[in-house]
Amino acid sequence: MGGSGGMEEVVWAAQDHSRAETGGETALRAESSPMQQMPLFAEVVARTDEARRAFETHPALLDAMAHGIPVERYRALLLELYHVVWHFNPVCAAAASRIPDAQRQIRYFLYEHVHEESGHEQWVMNDLEAVGVAPAVTTAHVPSPFTQALNGYNYWSADRRHPCSVLGMLYALEVIASVYGGPFSAAVKEALLLEGERGISFLGSHATMDAKHMAELRLVLNTLHDEAAREAIVDSALVNFHHFTRIIEVV
Amino acid sequence: MRSNPPTGVPQLLGRPYKYLRLEWNSELSLLRVRTFVKPIQCYSLAGLAEMQRVLDDITANPGLVRHLVLTSDVTGVFNFGGDLALFVLLVRAQDFDSLRLYGRRCVDLVWWMENAAQRGVHTTVLVQGDTLGGGLESVLPFHKVIFERSAQAGFPEVLFNLFPGMGAWNFTIRKAGFAIANEMILSGTLYTADQLYRRGLVDMVVNDGEGEAALDQAIRTVDPRLRGTLAALQAQRFAAPIPYDSLLSIVDQWAETAMGLTNRDLRLMERLARAQARKAGGADEGAVEELKKLELDTAWGEERTGITAWGDLH
Repeated sequence: MGGSGGMEEVVWAAQDHSRAETGGETALRAESSPMQQMPLFAEVVARTDEARRAFETHPALLDAMAHGIPVERYRALLLELYHVVWHFNPVCAAAASRIPDAQRQIRYFLYEHVHEESGHEQWVMNDLEAVGVAPAVTTAHVPSPFTQALNGYNYWSADRRHPCSVLGMLYALEVIASVYGGPFSAAVKEALLLEGERGISFLGSHATMDAKHMAELRLVLNTLHDEAAREAIVDSALVNFHHFTRIIEVV
Repeated sequence: MRSNPPTGVPQLLGRPYKYLRLEWNSELSLLRVRTFVKPIQCYSLAGLAEMQRVLDDITANPGLVRHLVLTSDVTGVFNFGGDLALFVLLVRAQDFDSLRLYGRRCVDLVWWMENAAQRGVHTTVLVQGDTLGGGLESVLPFHKVIFERSAQAGFPEVLFNLFPGMGAWNFTIRKAGFAIANEMILSGTLYTADQLYRRGLVDMVVNDGEGEAALDQAIRTVDPRLRGTLAALQAQRFAAPIPYDSLLSIVDQWAETAMGLTNRDLRLMERLARAQARKAGGADEGAVEELKKLELDTAWGEERTGITAWGDLH
């Protein structure tokens, strides 16, 4: 059976309606003493649930899931994705370098993650090549303002807000990859008549790979009890979902 | 000076709901809840929280609401049940606690309905579109269940190696008996409104477009004898009780089972989620049609598919 990964037992309740706003947070609410925190992963899931649903139900994504997308739009999406992936590890490294010793478990987690993600921008480049975009065009591409905003925010947040905020970026991107990446890549493959993994290697492989990452991310998030770090992570996940939704919207 | 928070009808109707529309009929002391969880009509975390808040407000104002009515404002869909994308996320994260919590929040809703008569509230639900899994579970505890004829319902969870864990067994056994519960839950079959009526899960089937009139008639029929009806319904619950602990144990087992879902199972779940999203995006075909394609059509008792293993039952 799936355990709680060593986290403390939490008694849940739905009766706390003290906040004016509605949302998943109210549905997934921890009870008991005020000192007892909800495990951070569950808190991130609950507090970003509407942002996740806003992403998954955006008309552009719904349409892509239903009908796939034309090759021009797929190229445009991969070009944006390339620049997200290219900056992923530098953002993680910037965050790792700023994380205090007291949260060293996060730093070590990021080291591992950076190692695993190294070179994955090349997968995107290969997929782009498979759909007719030369590597030189990919590297010369100027990303959309939304991609720049996403990357810019993640550097800023790691630098000025809280280095642990990078975990919010990881959460949003891994949710997108592991929950939606599979169906999306299947729709693209079907619409563009792609063979095997050609053209969808990045999306297809991350759909499976990020499932493992998601379980690891849950464990490491649940070690964090610092309020500032927790808030920064939730905010970062919300901003990443928001910007990624815009990126999908404009391609 | 701070004003006191509203109570009574203003409290009931004054909340800023995103996914519910509330209507009040003072003649019948009737609260109608219209659901429209956009764009996928399912039990999302936010949708659950809003519904629970409505029920809490009713509890906080005893005697105010005599009739509670639930309907859907989404054409062709009553409720698709659980938030499948959330399930996939939590299973992939191996987050047993959050899955169990989600299940318990659902059980809280059905448990409130189970005890509505004790609160002096008669409950009626009108189903005018498809309702799957948790959507059907949420319907069963209502005192009066009305379906329009084209509505279809079932428990498809077994198709991806799960089972409906928020009251399906308890309420189906009580209403229809053990054999029917076995048939419905273990087959994953979808049923027409008439088939559900014949199995005792639905109290009334009316032609499409006649649901509103049937709803009005049902409530006006019960209203003059409400006290006696509610007392009888309480006694009915004593006669065939559903223990809360049993519901919770089943939720725990549901969450444990979900933890063991394989990639294939999750892909099937994603396929259904994708179909729900397609329908929300304006496509004609949605989750129900996708279910029909899941290579398990032979298990289904649908006249319209032409596969009629259940045909003999008509």
